[in-house]
Amino acid sequence: MTRSVPAGVESFRSWLLEQSNLLSLAAIVGLLWAVFTALAPGFVSSFNLFAISRSVAIDIVIAFSTMVVLATGGMNLAIGSIGVCSVMLVGYLMQAHGLPVPLALAAGLVLGALLGFANGATIVLTGVNSFIITLASASLFAGGMLILTKATIYNGIPREIASFGRMRWGFVSPLLLIALAIGAWLLVLFRYTALGREILASGANPRAAELSGVPVGRVTVIVHALSGLLAASAGLMVMTWLGAAMPSVGQDWLLPSFLAPVLGGTLLAGGMVSVVGTVLGALLVTTIRSGLLILQVGNFWLQLFLGLVLLVAVMLDRYRGLYAERRGLERSP
Amino acid sequence: MTVARHLMAKEWSALGASILAGLVVLSLMSPAFLTEFNLYVMLRSFCVVLVVAFAQMLTLGVGQLNLSIGALGGLVAIAVGGVMEKLGFPIGLAVVLGLLIGAGGGLANGLLTVRTGINGFIITLATASVFAGINLGVTRSIPFYNLPPAFVAFGTERFFAVPYLLAPPLVVAAALGFFLARTVPGRYLLAVGGNPQAAELSGIPRDRTIVFAHTLSGLLAAVAAILAVAQLGSAQPTIGADWLIISFAAPIIGGAALTGGHISVAATSLAVVLIVLIQNGMVLAKVDPYWVQFLLGALILAAVGLNRLRAVHAETA
Repeated sequence: MTRSVPAGVESFRSWLLEQSNLLSLAAIVGLLWAVFTALAPGFVSSFNLFAISRSVAIDIVIAFSTMVVLATGGMNLAIGSIGVCSVMLVGYLMQAHGLPVPLALAAGLVLGALLGFANGATIVLTGVNSFIITLASASLFAGGMLILTKATIYNGIPREIASFGRMRWGFVSPLLLIALAIGAWLLVLFRYTALGREILASGANPRAAELSGVPVGRVTVIVHALSGLLAASAGLMVMTWLGAAMPSVGQDWLLPSFLAPVLGGTLLAGGMVSVVGTVLGALLVTTIRSGLLILQVGNFWLQLFLGLVLLVAVMLDRYRGLYAERRGLERSP
Repeated sequence: MTVARHLMAKEWSALGASILAGLVVLSLMSPAFLTEFNLYVMLRSFCVVLVVAFAQMLTLGVGQLNLSIGALGGLVAIAVGGVMEKLGFPIGLAVVLGLLIGAGGGLANGLLTVRTGINGFIITLATASVFAGINLGVTRSIPFYNLPPAFVAFGTERFFAVPYLLAPPLVVAAALGFFLARTVPGRYLLAVGGNPQAAELSGIPRDRTIVFAHTLSGLLAAVAAILAVAQLGSAQPTIGADWLIISFAAPIIGGAALTGGHISVAATSLAVVLIVLIQNGMVLAKVDPYWVQFLLGALILAAVGLNRLRAVHAETA
C-alpha cells in the first residue's frame, strides 16, 4: 500500500532504507557511548574526549587509506609500512639536516605518494593481484626503512610538532578537523568528479569500465598513490602525537584499516564506498578501544573485541541481505 | 602435456639454480657454513617454516587465503605449553589438544567463509585478531617456561647434523604430496581451486572442500606451532607473530597460483630451502637482520615477475 503514501514520506523511507547501515552503525556507537559513560563517568571527561578526538582522527585517515583502494576492488597491506617510511624520512630530515618543518612534512607526503605509486605501477605492470604485491612491498619498505635508519628514534625534532599534537580546540584536537577535511574532499571526489566515478566504475566491473573507455590501469595507479599519500598523512599525525619519529609507527594499522571501511559498508569487491560510514566505523573502533582502556580491561583483550566486532559486523551484513552485498559474493581477491 | 611439463621443469630449474648458487657462494664465503653444527641449525629452522608454508599452500590451492595461521599458531603454542606446565598434562595429550584447537580454528575459518559468503581475507583477518586476542588475554604476554624435559629434548637433540625435529615436517610433506596427488579429497581440492564453477558442475562439493582445506590449514598451523614450542624450549605467546609474510613467500616463490588449483609440495619445499639459506647467509655475513625482511619482499616480487614473464612467454610461444 505504498502508493497511498505521499511522495515525500516515500522518498524519506527509501532514504532511510539506503542509510540503514549508517543509522544502525551510528546507533551502535551511541549505545556504546551511553554504556561506557554509565560504567565510567571519566569516559566523557574533557581529557578523554580530547584523547578520543585525536585517536579517531588517526583511525579515520588510516581507514581512508584502505578505503580508496577498496573502491577499485584492490587492497593495500603496505599502508603501515608506507606510513612509517614517511615518518622516519621527516624525522631524519628535521633532526639530521634541520630542514624547516613544512618542507620536511611535504617531503614525507611526497614519499608516501611515491611508494603508493610504485605499488600501483607494479600491480598494473605485472597484472598480479594487489594483495600479494602490497604484502611483498610492505616487507620491502619496512625492511628498507630499518636498514637505512638502523631503527633509530628521532626524538630531537622541533617542539612545534609535539605542541601541535597537544593543541586543543575546546574538546577536540585540530587533527580531527584535518581528518574530517580529508573526508569532505574524498566525498566530493567520489560523488562529483569524473575521477571518482572512474574509480568506482573500475571497482564495480573492470572489464565493462575498460570497454567504456575508463583507463583502468591509470586509475589503479592513481588510487594507490592516493592511498600512499593518506597513509603518510596518518603517519605524520601519529608523529605529532608521539613528538618523535619512531620505527614502530604503523605496525598495528592492518586490522583497523579494514575494520572501519568494512563496518561502514564499503565493499571488498569494489565499486562502492561510504565515506561517512568509514568515519563512523573508525569512531566505533576508537570508542571500543578507549572504553576498554578506561574500564581497565586492558590492551590484552582489545584485539579479541575488535576481531569479534568485525565478525559480528560481517555476519549482520550477510543477514541484512542487501542487494549490493550479493553482488560482492562471487568475487574473491 | 609436454608444454606443461616443460614449464614445470622451468619452475624447478630457477629455484634449484638459486639454491645451488647460494650453497656455492655461502660455502666459499664462510668456512662456518658447511660445519655440522651450522647444517643442524639450518635444518632446525627449516622445520617450522616448512609446515607454516604448507598451511598457507593448502588454502592457496583451493583459491582462498588464510591470514590467521600465525595467530592460530600462537594460540596453539600457549595452549600446549599451558596445559603441560599448569595442568600437568602428559605430552601426548597436550599435543592432541593442540592439534584439535588448530583444526577447530581452521574449521571455524572455513565454515564462516562458506556460510557467510564473505571473502576469506576479511574472515581470517577477524579470526586472527580473535585468536591473538585470546592468546594475549590469557597469557598477558607471559610465556610458559617449565615444559617437560622430554618435550624440550625432542626440540634440541640430533643425529649428527639431522635434528629429530625434522621428522614431523618430512612426514607431513610426504603425506601432503600423496594426499594432493593420489586421493579423492586432494584432487577435489585442486579442482575447486582451479575452476570452482567447473568443479561444482562436475558434482564436487565445493563448500565442503573449502571448509576441508581451511581445517587442514589450521591443523598444519598447529603442527608448526608445536614444533616451534619444542624448538624454542618454551611456549612463547609471540610464536606465529612473524609467520604471515613467510607463509605466502614460500608457496608463491614455489610457483603457487594465487587464483588456486596450482600448488606443489616439492616446489614449496625448495622455496623454503632457499629462504632458510638466505636467512643463514645473513647471519653468517653478520648483516643487519632487517635485510631478511627486505630480501623476502624483493624475492616475492621477483618470483611474481618471473611467473609473469613465463606466462607472457607461454602465450606468445
